Amino acid sequence: MVVLVVLSLSIVSLDLNGRTHSVTSGVKSVANGVFSPLRHAVTDILSPIGDFFAGAVHYGSLQSENQKLQATVASLHQAQAENAFEKNQLRQLMALNDLPFLDSLPTVTAQTQELDSSNFTMTITIDKGRSDGVDVGMPVVGGGGLVGEVIQSFHHTSVVRLVNDGQSKVGVTFGQTQSHTATVDGQGPASSMTADLVPPHTPLHKNEVMYTSGFNAAAFPPGIPVAKVTSFHTSPGASQVTIAVAPEATLSQLAYVDVVLWEPPA
Amino acid sequence: MSGRATLRVALVTLLLLLLQSTVILSIRIGSTHPDILWLLPITAALLAGPETGAIVGFWSGLAFDLVLPTPFGLGALVGSLLGYSIGAATAAVDKRAVWLKPVAAVIGSVAADMLFSVLGAIFGQQQMVQVDFLSLFVIVAVSSALLVLPVNRLMRWAFFAEGNRRTLVSAHSPEGGIW
Repeated sequence: MVVLVVLSLSIVSLDLNGRTHSVTSGVKSVANGVFSPLRHAVTDILSPIGDFFAGAVHYGSLQSENQKLQATVASLHQAQAENAFEKNQLRQLMALNDLPFLDSLPTVTAQTQELDSSNFTMTITIDKGRSDGVDVGMPVVGGGGLVGEVIQSFHHTSVVRLVNDGQSKVGVTFGQTQSHTATVDGQGPASSMTADLVPPHTPLHKNEVMYTSGFNAAAFPPGIPVAKVTSFHTSPGASQVTIAVAPEATLSQLAYVDVVLWEPPA
Repeated sequence: MSGRATLRVALVTLLLLLLQSTVILSIRIGSTHPDILWLLPITAALLAGPETGAIVGFWSGLAFDLVLPTPFGLGALVGSLLGYSIGAATAAVDKRAVWLKPVAAVIGSVAADMLFSVLGAIFGQQQMVQVDFLSLFVIVAVSSALLVLPVNRLMRWAFFAEGNRRTLVSAHSPEGGIW
């Protein structure tokens, strides 16, 4: 028993140590390569059965959801056309500042294989890995905004930490001229996300969208919508505003996402 | 444990690992889903005692660690502690008691999840204590109570398949007295 405990603690130490982490991640990578096709096969066999029953039970709601989605797609097409001009101007401004604009960066579209494989982390597993150019630290977007960041990359799959995970921290800018900065912190599934380090009296309004800042050594390129303000208040004597935010991306519906092939500057 | 029994335990672990990452993951309430991993050391400990429970807990935990984004080795640590504790705590209890398996499954699974999250936080993964513990414990407790019997059956097969066959053979053989 003591031997097993010591052995387990040694393995955990190896994994958490920066220098030896590559050993455990290598083992995980090999295991993932073997296990992934098996899991895929089981899912392929079981999902049509599950879908059949789900479709039979939820036929009415699926039909109305489809209509709503069609309406949403139509309004998005309209918004896209309206935004084209502004987007072009923004691209030019970004180019002047020598900052990469998301549209100019290459992306890889991936399908979500697994949602929250553990009850203790907010992650998704996608079907693209190192063989597709996906690597640790790359941003993942979809569903209307920033989804998260690649934290594990295997040969054919990757694990993405979602923005609402407790370990997630994203530097953002907001305001009319994007001159105010904050850090959006994930708080796990039990609480809403927060925006920290905003001094009192900073102009803010509900539904204000916060974008990745892309400042020096930032983990994300600039201009990706991260979250929008849902509520805010300043407690008496507090040194910062308490801001609750909601993710811009619809994290509950992430069938497909885009991995931005961008790595943080060294 | 014989070599064949070890192989069968590995097969049962793989089966549960596949079930966990496919069917069980799709059964979710909010953002929580059942955790059937802990049923392996619990049933092993009930069937074969604390030492075997700890060994099965270690290897099954390590197998699950391979596919989870949590620290590698954490599942093995909690699994071995769980297997040993359940085996030791139920050593003096009549193993034929009807209530034993569901009660051990509920208490063991909830305690294991709690330990897993606290140890994770101690190892620097602060997000592991930022979960809705009430719904997690309810879902894990209910699912463990429901699934402990089928998992126990699988584990009994893994441990005693040869023994059962031998019993049958000897019962029907000339030495067994039937013929």
